[in-house]
Amino acid sequence: MSALTVDWDGTDVRLSDVNNALAKLRAESAAEGAPPNLRTSVMTHLAWIPEAWADQARAALAGMAERHPSRSILLFPEPDAGKNRIDAMVSLECYSIAEVNRLVCSEVIELELLGTRAKAPASIVEPLLISDLPVFLRWRGEPAWGAQELEQLVEIVDRLIVDSTEWDDVPYPYRRLAALFEQTAVSDIAWARNSRWRHLLASLWPDIADVATIRVTGTATQAWLLCGWLRSRLDRDDIALEHVPAERLVGIELDGKPAPFPPGDPPLPSDVLSEELDRFSRDRVYEDAVRAVA
Amino acid sequence: MPALYALMVRRLLPSRFAIVGVARTEGDDEAFRNDMKETVQKYARDEFIEEVWNELAENMRYVATDFADEGGEDKLEELVERVDEERNLGANRVYYLAVPPVVFPMIVDAIGQRKGHRSGWTRLIVEKPFGHDLASARELNALLTERFDESEVFRIDHYLGKETVQNMLALRFANGIFEPIWNRQFVDHVQITVAESIGIEGRADYYESAGAIRDIFQNHLLQLLALTAMEPPIDFTAESVRNEKVKVLRALHTPGPKSVVRGQYGRGYIEGEEVPAYREEQGVAADSMTETYVGAKLYADNWRWADTPFYVRMGKRLPRRETTIAIQFKRAPHPPFEETSAEGLRPNVLLVHVQPDEGVSLAIGAKVPGQGMQIRTVHMDFLYGGAFRTGMPEAYERLILDTLLGDGTLFTRADEVEEQWLLVDSMVAAWQRDRPGFPNYAAGTWGPPSADDLVHRDGRSWRRH
Repeated sequence: MSALTVDWDGTDVRLSDVNNALAKLRAESAAEGAPPNLRTSVMTHLAWIPEAWADQARAALAGMAERHPSRSILLFPEPDAGKNRIDAMVSLECYSIAEVNRLVCSEVIELELLGTRAKAPASIVEPLLISDLPVFLRWRGEPAWGAQELEQLVEIVDRLIVDSTEWDDVPYPYRRLAALFEQTAVSDIAWARNSRWRHLLASLWPDIADVATIRVTGTATQAWLLCGWLRSRLDRDDIALEHVPAERLVGIELDGKPAPFPPGDPPLPSDVLSEELDRFSRDRVYEDAVRAVA
Repeated sequence: MPALYALMVRRLLPSRFAIVGVARTEGDDEAFRNDMKETVQKYARDEFIEEVWNELAENMRYVATDFADEGGEDKLEELVERVDEERNLGANRVYYLAVPPVVFPMIVDAIGQRKGHRSGWTRLIVEKPFGHDLASARELNALLTERFDESEVFRIDHYLGKETVQNMLALRFANGIFEPIWNRQFVDHVQITVAESIGIEGRADYYESAGAIRDIFQNHLLQLLALTAMEPPIDFTAESVRNEKVKVLRALHTPGPKSVVRGQYGRGYIEGEEVPAYREEQGVAADSMTETYVGAKLYADNWRWADTPFYVRMGKRLPRRETTIAIQFKRAPHPPFEETSAEGLRPNVLLVHVQPDEGVSLAIGAKVPGQGMQIRTVHMDFLYGGAFRTGMPEAYERLILDTLLGDGTLFTRADEVEEQWLLVDSMVAAWQRDRPGFPNYAAGTWGPPSADDLVHRDGRSWRRH
């Protein structure tokens, strides 16, 4: 539960202003005479958030700091702003720890990158990374394939997290995504959301080995990722996909026979993101599934 | 001046003192005070308090003179003697020389000649650069020792005045847990980074002749290395500490050409803004071969550190301003966990942040709460700003105060400077034989690719940022 939030904001800032503000907020957050609050971080969490995704991105952050004490750096690019500068808002969110009379603080840095300052985001982020800790990048919407912004950020992160549900025209973008697999580990929230369905389908082994067609009623992303997973796991590229569009995954048929519905509720978006932030290594199964439909 | 103001705020200056500004520029006491007031208002770490400033300002005088002129030094001497008499200062003097190298001998000679006629003490603060190579440093030392005792000379390296640098001594020698593992048995390697994101800031004249090796490596970096690698001194006196630092500098062996990398920045991005290449900076030759980056692998040939590499790097237009000393310990010999459980685990690193965010961090592996055994690296941070609810003194405050007290512990001794230059000269000599393709790194990156190769060849990598 959030015990305390302190803020600072600035227009046309230098990154040293941001660092100074963080230091000041940390000092201010401790009660007079009390020991300082702990700055606890297990990672730097970057997010690239085009304007259309701002609200959803902030909502997904809610509660995450408590589970993953981190420095979150939210980048809001506005290349067409008509002025070239960085505006910043910095906040320190402190949480009480049960049975310990101390607060643990996480830092959130929101940077609006206006005009040309949106062109080289890695040079903006690097001075703010916490040394020696992993860096995760959540890219909202479809990545700008081939753009220098993406290339630069991928260079400095340990893991890129996307949600291919946010993309148009799947499966075509998967080819571009697959090209990044050798540069950085990649997580796809759409893939994580499908996990209970994959567990269920896996339980149908060995009968599933000869399946010819998978019919998925759900989003195109869900359909292609499940098909790719089956193709790659069974090492068969002849499995056909039939996709019935729906807003969420409501059913799967294998050669015309409905698969049973998996138990439990679908996970919350913040839970899915949280789970991805605990992963470090490459997800070879996911990579194979993407390559199978790319 | 901001440092003197900070000392004044804290009542650390003597009850009777005077500050005399000396330069060739025409001016008077009032103009000098106004200039200094502006500087203090702009740069002091403390809130500007008019009464404190007035108290300081009434002790300030100015004299315009040129030591090259006939009797130029007499003008200064006359004023200082007058002030001395008025305020009963006991003829004690600190001369702070922030002057171009060409006029240095003349000024030292003039001050030295006159000091013998006074009863009080004389101390000389000497700013870098202290020489350009070993020969010139020896000349300067000879000049100084002709007129002054070593205890009267305070060669300033402001890094040594930083709290975190001094904390390195506290960390090592006041904590029983570190010193037993501070050696080749437990330390895999050490990385020292002195990174600046700024360019040369209009100092082309100086930088073109200095380069990164003389600007940073010869002084700041070797001092950090010496403090990291030195043996425990028997006490904390100036001589004991400096004796141990000199031993480390003598133990450093000259790195071969394959163990040194130099670079020069090309165009790139800093904080999202495009910045020019070094050769495009005003005053820099279009074909300049001055290095703005140096990376090196150094070894100290002694029992404590034999075969333990010290990877050092320093440069301009790197992605962030950061000075750190990272002690990377050897990995646990046999982690009894599944390979996948420790994928996020990195070796233990004790990281001393010299600037910014002064403090110390220890990276340790910890179990992620929940089912199973997932281990990841977490940081235990001690940040000066958080732990001690008091402002950090600027390096110059400490160093000026130490000079007033006659404590030379945090200043560089003549033999230290000469050992530093000896190493630099031998590295630079090897550079005469090759001509690297400059620029070889883009501004906003961590140096040339060959710097990565330098550590990758040993199966290691530069610490990530």
